[in-house]
Amino acid sequence: MTTALAALLITHVIAGIIAIGIHNVVLMHLLKKTPNYVFISRIAWSAVALLLLSWATSAYYYVTYYGTAVKPRILAGDMPFAHAFFMETKEHIFLLLPFVALSIALCASYLRAHPEDDGLRKSAALLTLVALLIGVATAISGMLVSGSI
Amino acid sequence: MTIMKLLILMHVIGTVLGVGAATFAEIFYTRFNSDNIITDDERKTLSVTYTVMRTGLFLLVISGFGFLLYFRLTEHVGIFSSPSFWAKMTVVAVLVGNALLLQARIIPFLIGTAISLTSWYAALTLGVLGKISMSYFEILTYYAIAVVFVALALRWIRARLHGPAQAKI
Repeated sequence: MTTALAALLITHVIAGIIAIGIHNVVLMHLLKKTPNYVFISRIAWSAVALLLLSWATSAYYYVTYYGTAVKPRILAGDMPFAHAFFMETKEHIFLLLPFVALSIALCASYLRAHPEDDGLRKSAALLTLVALLIGVATAISGMLVSGSI
Repeated sequence: MTIMKLLILMHVIGTVLGVGAATFAEIFYTRFNSDNIITDDERKTLSVTYTVMRTGLFLLVISGFGFLLYFRLTEHVGIFSSPSFWAKMTVVAVLVGNALLLQARIIPFLIGTAISLTSWYAALTLGVLGKISMSYFEILTYYAIAVVFVALALRWIRARLHGPAQAKI
């Protein structure tokens, strides 16, 4: 693996993990009685940016390196399901995540102007929980794929 | 300093902050709530302690994934098949989930704090012990038993500090 590809993989993982952590913080704040929507919307938009960065770097890594150098080794190894199930699932579910994050950020921006909308706060909290669960499932799938080489 | 040493330093600092803050959060809460009143100053002290705990968790998770990346890039992937590694990941996931349940007030406070305190010490113990000859489910069984013991111990300590007539846990 070249240094550039290693840097892309590192960026993909770290940006993704920080974005998942941010969604955790967003959810914690949305569960408060009087959330600070200025803070929530700022970090929610940061999560969108980080997920797009994670998305772009992983896409380049996947297309130029994973398919030709990593995937055949996993399929020939002891845990071919790591690619056949976990990577296949991860790469499709992960497509949703930046758009879910974008929806959360838009909700947070709306709530910043309309903090009295408690129904939206609850819906945004539920959506953030979904994003968090997808993020955690994606991270665990990534670990399984990395460990199956 | 090599990347590995930097990651170890970050991981140790995260663990120290987390375990220390979890311990002091419990001590402070038990002391502050002995009169069933949490004043504004006491609330601020607890808030700072929880912030330190979250900082510790952040450092722990980021350095933990740093280790995984390092092992992946150097192709030392044996750790991914270690039961203690997956048990530690589970404990950290429980820590995060427990914090959310506490925030949403879905879980009783006594159970939540017992899970938090036990999880931090379990993460520390698993990190220090490294490779151990136990299966994933054995480790989690011991962890669950420890949570029950810690919950009972906290209940006993709080009841003693309050006195039997006004114990409110």
